[in-house]
Amino acid sequence: MINNERDLQTAADAPELSLVVIPLLKGVVYQESDPTLWSHLLKLQPQVRDYVRVLDLDLALDEAEGYAFLRSREAESEENETPRQPRLMARRQLSFPVSLLLALLRKKLAEFDAGGGETRLILTQHEIVELLRVFLPSHTNDARLVDQIETYLNKTVEMGFLRKLKPPTGSSQPSPTFEVRRIIKAFVDAHWLADLENRLEEYRRYAESSSETRDDE
Amino acid sequence: MNVLSFETVDSLRKSHPAWRLLCSDHAPLTVSFLHQTFIAPNLRSIAEAALTEALEDMLFALRERLGEAPFPRSAREYLNDWAAPEKGWLRKYYREGSDEPFFDLSPAAERAIAWLASLETRSFVGTESRLLTLFELLRQMAEGMESNAQMRVAELRKRRDALDAEISQALEGNVPVLDATALRDRFQQFAQTARELLADFREVEQNFRTLDRRVRERITLWEGGKAALLEEILGERDAISDSDQGRSFHAFWDFLMSSRRQEELTERLEKILGHPAINATHPDPRLRRIHYDWLDAGEHTQRTVADLSKQLRRFLDDRAWLENRRIIDLLRKIEAKALSVREIQPSGGFTEIDTPAATIELPFERPLFKPAFKPNLTDKVLAGTGENIDAAALFSQEVVDRAALAQHIRQHLQDRSQITLRELVENRPLHHGLAELVAYLDLGSGSFRAAVDEATQDSVSWKTVDAQGQILHKTARLPRVIFVR
Repeated sequence: MINNERDLQTAADAPELSLVVIPLLKGVVYQESDPTLWSHLLKLQPQVRDYVRVLDLDLALDEAEGYAFLRSREAESEENETPRQPRLMARRQLSFPVSLLLALLRKKLAEFDAGGGETRLILTQHEIVELLRVFLPSHTNDARLVDQIETYLNKTVEMGFLRKLKPPTGSSQPSPTFEVRRIIKAFVDAHWLADLENRLEEYRRYAESSSETRDDE
Repeated sequence: MNVLSFETVDSLRKSHPAWRLLCSDHAPLTVSFLHQTFIAPNLRSIAEAALTEALEDMLFALRERLGEAPFPRSAREYLNDWAAPEKGWLRKYYREGSDEPFFDLSPAAERAIAWLASLETRSFVGTESRLLTLFELLRQMAEGMESNAQMRVAELRKRRDALDAEISQALEGNVPVLDATALRDRFQQFAQTARELLADFREVEQNFRTLDRRVRERITLWEGGKAALLEEILGERDAISDSDQGRSFHAFWDFLMSSRRQEELTERLEKILGHPAINATHPDPRLRRIHYDWLDAGEHTQRTVADLSKQLRRFLDDRAWLENRRIIDLLRKIEAKALSVREIQPSGGFTEIDTPAATIELPFERPLFKPAFKPNLTDKVLAGTGENIDAAALFSQEVVDRAALAQHIRQHLQDRSQITLRELVENRPLHHGLAELVAYLDLGSGSFRAAVDEATQDSVSWKTVDAQGQILHKTARLPRVIFVR
């Protein structure tokens, strides 16, 4: 009897479950872009978690911020001899300037939150260029610097951390504006930044030691 | 009281936006534009596109009169300049759900504009009314401070005796009426205070924002543990609403929100603004709906307070707080190190980051080749057949007076609760034929409630006159339509 009820329950949930799991596999689900999907997700949280566990995934849901996504589960213990499955959620390689850009955007967001009032952090391209400029080698060609930074910005938009705002209608093109999406808090977190700091430290030491050996020669 | 010491005034002149507005070169343009778009219609936030257009219109008109020289820049440049921190006359912000920025007037600018408005010389400066108000305020405070019940009762009895005396006077027919001067005096004070109240809402909102910022600063700089911080903040419950500003505002709001008081305000305003003595002073027509303006402004402020409280609670959220502290620490270190390797930046991949999307290949989502559809645009000239058709039929329109028809229906529905379409037409024959019948049906589906009885058929007939002057009888058969009250 009980089994029948449970089967009925899961059968009834099934259409909504697929409605929820498919967008999650394809990317981040935002409350503001699809409120009905979000309410389904909140209702079916335990079922979703059970379902994606099969794929070695975990559901990360932040109700206050209004986003949800899947992340690969870390192996629980290293002694486990079962071979690691290939990752479903890929890892992207980022170049140094892009990593730095992400860190600086996260800093801007943290400062913005501490300042209070608004929830949406919007920066013009000019502001982002100024933010990044001091960390990049000085170029005599300013336009080339801006072009380079534009490529980094596009990469960040591709990853979903920045959103380009539609330019206002019927105006001469002012510089494009970007919204820093709050999902950046979930990915560029203290753990990732600590990792970035370590790598920077390693690289710095390596660069210093190699320049010393060069000087000696 | 060192309110206006030399240093204070000097720093005000250098940094206060209101003073800057009064001294700016473009003051006439700025002040008149801001008054016209924000203060006169009592609007709190205007989208960038709409505001730019309004300013363009004004600039266009001014340029016609004064030439190109005085205002060379574009409207958008002026707006962004006015919203910059150096000027501080407009506040530019983004709202949820829209990519377009919005503008609002800053309280300092509002104050400057209100002051300019008050410079207009008053022919009559009333004093009696204000003195009475002061006495009333003192009485309220004195009585309110009195905790002794006996004293209170004594005061109330004194007031009741005075009222009784007035009542007996009135019963005898001695009704002292306020003369015109007294009325004008009081009305002037009312108008002044009402306008000030409306102008203060922006400042109230600004105060709330400042409170919020101060709380956040305290949270960010808190050196101790989370528990102690929570105790301090939550010990005051809601730091924003419990401030002086918050309490006063909530008291105001509660007082205004009762519908009985709203009606009272409307009635009294109507009566007073209709009095000849008041009318002679040409009062501002906006005063008639000042309480609705208060409601609008108050509602806006309420929403702001609610938003601020919500965000503050989120900011205090456990993980976010700890993480923010750690992140700011880490970022400082990262910045320092990044600067040191500036000239010798590493190339290639440096870090990795997870993506939230699974790597899914969807080969069948790729569309297959479809030859492009080229529409064939030919340049053909349509040759007319050469016949002369009387085009008058295109232009002759039947104009049906819907208002008269509606009136007719309403008249009949007054006596009876239902009436069929056929009876309506019998009582008032159709002058415009089928068009009028269709107008009845349209009224039935729109302004009036109508039920259609599919089972029964009615026939409606009317007379028309055709081109030769012959009278034709026409009949339409349609299901019974019943208009219901």
